Amino acid sequence: METGGTHIIKRHRRHGIEAFSKDKLQKSVVAACLSAGAHHGQAELVAKHVADAVEEWLEDRPEVTSSDLRLATAKQLKKYHADAAYLYEQHRMTI
Amino acid sequence: MTTHTFDYDLIVIGSGAGGSVAATIAAREGLRVAIVEESILGGDSSNWGDVPTKALLHTAHLYDETKRGDRFGLRTTSLGYNYPSIRAWKEKVVKQTGVGDNKKFYEDQGITVFMGKAHFLTPHEITVNRRHLSGHRFLIATGSEWIAPNIQGLSDVTYFTPRTILETIRPPKSLAILGGSRYGVEIADLMAIFGTKVYIIEEKSRLLPEFEKEVGDYMSAVLGARKEITVLTGSRTLSVSKEGASHRVLFTRGGAQKHVKVDAIMIATDYRPNVDIGLNNALVKYSEDGIPTDKYLRTNVKHIYAAGDVLGKRQDTHAALIESRVAAHNIIGAATMVPDYVAMPKVVFSSPEVAQVGLTEQEARRTHSHVRRAVTPLHIVARSNVSGQKDGFIKLVADKQGVIIGGVVVGPHATEIIHEISLAVRYRLTAQQLATTPHVFLSWAEAMRVTAQKIIGANS
Repeated sequence: METGGTHIIKRHRRHGIEAFSKDKLQKSVVAACLSAGAHHGQAELVAKHVADAVEEWLEDRPEVTSSDLRLATAKQLKKYHADAAYLYEQHRMTI
Repeated sequence: MTTHTFDYDLIVIGSGAGGSVAATIAAREGLRVAIVEESILGGDSSNWGDVPTKALLHTAHLYDETKRGDRFGLRTTSLGYNYPSIRAWKEKVVKQTGVGDNKKFYEDQGITVFMGKAHFLTPHEITVNRRHLSGHRFLIATGSEWIAPNIQGLSDVTYFTPRTILETIRPPKSLAILGGSRYGVEIADLMAIFGTKVYIIEEKSRLLPEFEKEVGDYMSAVLGARKEITVLTGSRTLSVSKEGASHRVLFTRGGAQKHVKVDAIMIATDYRPNVDIGLNNALVKYSEDGIPTDKYLRTNVKHIYAAGDVLGKRQDTHAALIESRVAAHNIIGAATMVPDYVAMPKVVFSSPEVAQVGLTEQEARRTHSHVRRAVTPLHIVARSNVSGQKDGFIKLVADKQGVIIGGVVVGPHATEIIHEISLAVRYRLTAQQLATTPHVFLSWAEAMRVTAQKIIGANS
C-alpha cells in the first residue's frame, strides 16, 4: 500500500481507515473518464493532473474522510471533464 | 435517555479576532473550551494585519511629518531612517501584544490549545493532527486569505499581498498595487513615504470604492498629488509579465492600453473565506463566498456558530471582535444577542486618515424621503492653523428630523473623531444635540460642531 501521509476515514467508519493512495485515486479517475466517453489517453492525462492537484490539497491535511476526497477529486475533475466529474461525485467511485 | 459526553463544551476553530474573545468569555463562564489554531496564535490581525501595519504606518507618518518640519523652524536636513530597524520595531510591537504564539496566554485562562489544521469529521467531531476531538458546540472563526485575481501572467510572477509585503527586507523601488481599497491605500501611503514609486491600479472610478463617493474622490486627489504616487482609477489590469528584473503591468484605461514597469507587484483585490475545513461532514451549508448564518451567528447546524471574515464580508477587526462576543453570549445562554452593525465604523489609517459610519448619503437617499447633509472642510477650524495641516473634511448625514444617520471624517485623527458620530448614530442623537455639545477649542472635532450647526441651519 502506498503511504501518502494522509489518512482516509472510510464511509461509516466501519470500513476503517486507510492511507491515501495516489495510484488508486488516479485509476478511479481514469475509470470515471472512460465511463464518460473519454479516450484512454485523455483519461490518463486528466487523471494525472487531477491526482497531482488532490495530492497537493492533501499536503497539510493529516486526515480527511472518503467523502472529502471524493468531493475534492470531483472539483478538480470538473475543470477537465464535467461529465466524468458528475459521474465521480454521484456514483461514489471506490477510493 | 441517552446523554452525550463531549470532550469540550465549546471548540473554537481559529484564534484570531473572531475566535479568541469567544473562547475567553466561554472559559470564564466555566465552560470546557478548546481552541484550534493552524498557524500562529492570535490570528491575522495581531500577527500580519492590523497591528504590524499600523506600527509601520505610525513610524512612516512620524518620519513624514518630521521631514516637513522645516516650516515649523525644525532642522531636518540630516533626518533619515533604517528600514531593518523599523521592521524590528514592528516585530517588537507584534510580540508585545502578548498573544502571538503564546500558548500560555490561553492556558492561563483555562483554554486548551491545539495547534494544527482542524477538519470536521461529523457535526460534533473534528480531527486535528489525527487527534479526534468532540464538542458540544463549535465556533468557526477561520478568517480569510488573499487570493490572486484572474489576471494573465500573474501566476508566473512573484507578488506580494498586504500581509507578505510587511516582511519585505526593504521597500521596493517601484510598486504596482492592484486594488485601491483601504488595504491598497494604506500600503501605498506606507511605501511612498519610504521612497517607493507607487502605482495604484483600481478598476472602479475612485479609490476606496467601499466608502462614500466624496471620500474616494478626495483621497484619489490627495494621494495623486503626491509625486511618489500615481493613482490609476478606472483601470483594469490585463496582464503581468516579467521583464528582466522588473515586471510589466499592462492595463486598460480610458479605452487605451497602457503599461507601467515596476520592481514589485502587490495584489489587494480578492480574498477568500477559509471554508475548506470539512464542512460537508458537519452538514454545514457554505459556499466559496463564506458561511451563511442567522442573526444570532448560528449556521444551519444550530450548535455550530461562525464569526469574523469566514462569514464572507471582509470587515475591520472590531466587527469580528463584536461578533465573537455575540457568539459567546449565544453559545453560553439562549441565542438572544445580535451583532449591531449600524454604528460600526470602517477606517483607513492612511494620511490623511479616513473613517466612516452609518449610512452614506446615497444609501440614505434610497431609504429616506428627506435627507439633510452638510460638509465642513477642516482648514476652517483653528487647529488647522496651529498644526499647518489643511487636508480633510467632516460630513454628516441626517434624516428629516435631524437625527444623525451617517457620517464621514477625513483628516488627522479621523479614526478617533468618528466615535462621536458612531455614538450619535447608535443612540439616534440629533444634529441639534451635537451642535449644542461643547467641543474643545483647537480640537479637530470643532469641525463636528460646525457641521452639525450647518445641518440645523439648512432646515431653518
